Amino acid sequence: MNRGIVLKSARELLPATLLLGAAMAILQAILAYVLPTFAQQIVGNIMQIRFAQTFIEALIGAKVAPDMDAATFGTIAWTHPVALALLWAHAAIATTRVPAGEVDRGTIDVLFGLPVSRVGAYASDTLAWGAAGTVLIAAALAGHFIGSRWLPEGLRPDWARVVIVLVNMLAMYLAVGGLGALCSSFSDRRGWAIGLIFALVVTSFLVNYLAQLWEPARRFEYLSVLRYYRPLLTMRDGAWPLGGIAVLLAIGAAFWAAGAAIFARRDLTTT
Amino acid sequence: MPAIELENLTRRYGARRGVEGVSLRVPAGMLFGFLGPNGAGKTTTIRVLLGLLSPTAGAARVLGYDCWRDGPRIKRELGYLPGDLRLYPWLNGLSALRMVGRIRGLDLLPAGRALAEEFALDLRVKVRAMSRGTRQKLGLLLAMAHNPRILILDEPTASLDPLMQRTLHARLRRMAAAGATVFFSSHTLSEVEELCQRVAIVREGRIVADETLEELRRSAGHEVTIRWGPGGGGPPPEPPPFLGLDRREPREWHGLLTGPVAPLLEWLRGRDIADLTIGRPDLETLFRTFYEGGEERHGRADAVSGTPVFRADGTPVAPVAPAREGDIA
Repeated sequence: MNRGIVLKSARELLPATLLLGAAMAILQAILAYVLPTFAQQIVGNIMQIRFAQTFIEALIGAKVAPDMDAATFGTIAWTHPVALALLWAHAAIATTRVPAGEVDRGTIDVLFGLPVSRVGAYASDTLAWGAAGTVLIAAALAGHFIGSRWLPEGLRPDWARVVIVLVNMLAMYLAVGGLGALCSSFSDRRGWAIGLIFALVVTSFLVNYLAQLWEPARRFEYLSVLRYYRPLLTMRDGAWPLGGIAVLLAIGAAFWAAGAAIFARRDLTTT
Repeated sequence: MPAIELENLTRRYGARRGVEGVSLRVPAGMLFGFLGPNGAGKTTTIRVLLGLLSPTAGAARVLGYDCWRDGPRIKRELGYLPGDLRLYPWLNGLSALRMVGRIRGLDLLPAGRALAEEFALDLRVKVRAMSRGTRQKLGLLLAMAHNPRILILDEPTASLDPLMQRTLHARLRRMAAAGATVFFSSHTLSEVEELCQRVAIVREGRIVADETLEELRRSAGHEVTIRWGPGGGGPPPEPPPFLGLDRREPREWHGLLTGPVAPLLEWLRGRDIADLTIGRPDLETLFRTFYEGGEERHGRADAVSGTPVFRADGTPVAPVAPAREGDIA
C-alpha cells in the first residue's frame, strides 16, 4: 500500500464522486419522500392489479404482499434503476482508472517509473475507490434522511434497517468494483473496460428482472448480482442478509484477485 | 558491476520484432547514448529496463537487479523520462513534486524548486495549460529531483529549445561527474556527439555498434573530398575499392575512405589533383552510414561504388536488413 498513490487516486476520484454523490443524494431525497407518500395514497388500489404487483416485485426483486405498507413501499428507492445506474456508473468509472485508464492516457509510464509494485499500486487504488464508493453510499443515506424528514412519523423508515441495506449495497458495490478491476486489468482502453462492465451489470439486472416475471429465467437468477441484494426483505424483517453479503464480497474478492494476478504479469504498452 | 546490463535481450510482440539479441553493459558514472531511428527498438529496450515489458528471452539488469522482478527496488535509484511524456492534467509543478515525493517517500520540494529555477519552469502552472516543452521540463524535473543513481531519458530534448538543451546537457554532465549513470536515447546525433562518452546504435532491433565515440568515428574511416585539376584528362574512370563515393561530379568526388589513408595517397600519386581534404566524419555522416544502409544506401552504392563499413579492428559491422512492415519501437 502506498500513501502517495492512495491520495493521487482519491484526488482523481473526487469530481466523479462529488457529482454522482450529489445526484444520488438528490434522487434518494426525492424517492424517500415521494414513494411512501404515493404509496399511502394509492398503493392499496395498485396492488390489487396483478400486473402492477408483478412489476413492483420485479423492481424490488422479491415477492410482495398485496397489503404492503407505505413504508415498505419506500424500499423501491434502494433498488430504483437510476440509483443502481449511479452506483454502477461510479464503480465502473472508479475501478477502470488503474491500469486501463493510465495505459489509455499514457500516464502509466510516469506511474511505474516510480518505486511502486504493480500489486501495490492496484491495492492502493482499490483503497481509494472503496472509500469513494462508501462516500457515494453515505450520500445516498444523507439524501434519504433529508427526504424522509418531511414524511409523517409513521412513514419514516427504520434507520437501523436502512443501515443494513446500505451495508448490503456496499457489498454489491465492491462486487461490481471487483469485476471492474478485473476488466481494467487486462484492458488498454478504458472505454472498452467501462463498456464491458456495463454490459455485464445490465445483463445481471435483466436476469434478475426476468426471473421475477418468467419462470424459466429463475434457473439463472443466481448469476445476477441483484440476487444477493434484497432490501425489501431487510426492511420488512430487519434481518442481516449475511449470506448475500458474503456471496457479494466473495465475488468481489475473487474478481479483484484475478485482476491483481493479471495486472502483475501483463505487459504495459502505451503505443 | 555495470549500472545497466542487457544480456541477449529479445523482446517480440507476437510475430513482430521489438529487439533481438541485444547485449549491452553500461558502466556506472557514464553518459551513454542509445541511438536509433524511430522503430529501431530504443523504446522497447527502455520499457524492458523499466519493467513495463517482460523479456521474451535474455535478461535485463539494473544495478544487478532483475528489471522484471525487482522493479520497485530499482526505481528507488532510478529516474525516468518517457519518450512520449503524458502527465496528469490536474497537476501543477508543485503538486506534481508533492505527489511524486509522497510516492517515493521523500521531500522533493527543495530539490525540485532548485531544478525549476535552473530550467526556468514556473511550478504554479497547471499541466493542462503547459506547452509541450514546458511539460518536458517538468518531466525532467520529476525524473531528477530525487538525485537518482541511474537516469533513463527517452529522447529528452525532443521538444526543448536549444538553450534548455544546453542547460540539460550541463546538468547531465554534473550528474555523471558525481557518479550517476545516464542512459540517453536519441536520434539527434549532434547532441549525443556533444554529450555522451559511449554510444550504442540500434537498428531494426539489433545493436549494430557499441563503442566509444572515437571508435565509432574510426570505424567510419575518413571523409574524403577530391577536386580534380584541369589537366591529366580528368578523373580516372573508377575509384579504388576502399573509397566509397556518395557524390561524383566531373571535377569533384566526395566519399568515405575505409582503412588507412596511405593506400589512397598511393592511388592518387601522379594524378592531377587541385585540392584534397581528408577528415574525420561527423556523427551525422556516421549515422547515415548505419541507418541509410538499407535499400537506399545499397542502391546508391550500386550506382557509384559500394563500400562496406568496418570497425576499428577491421571487422565489418553487422549486415543491415531492410525494414519489415509491422516492426515497432
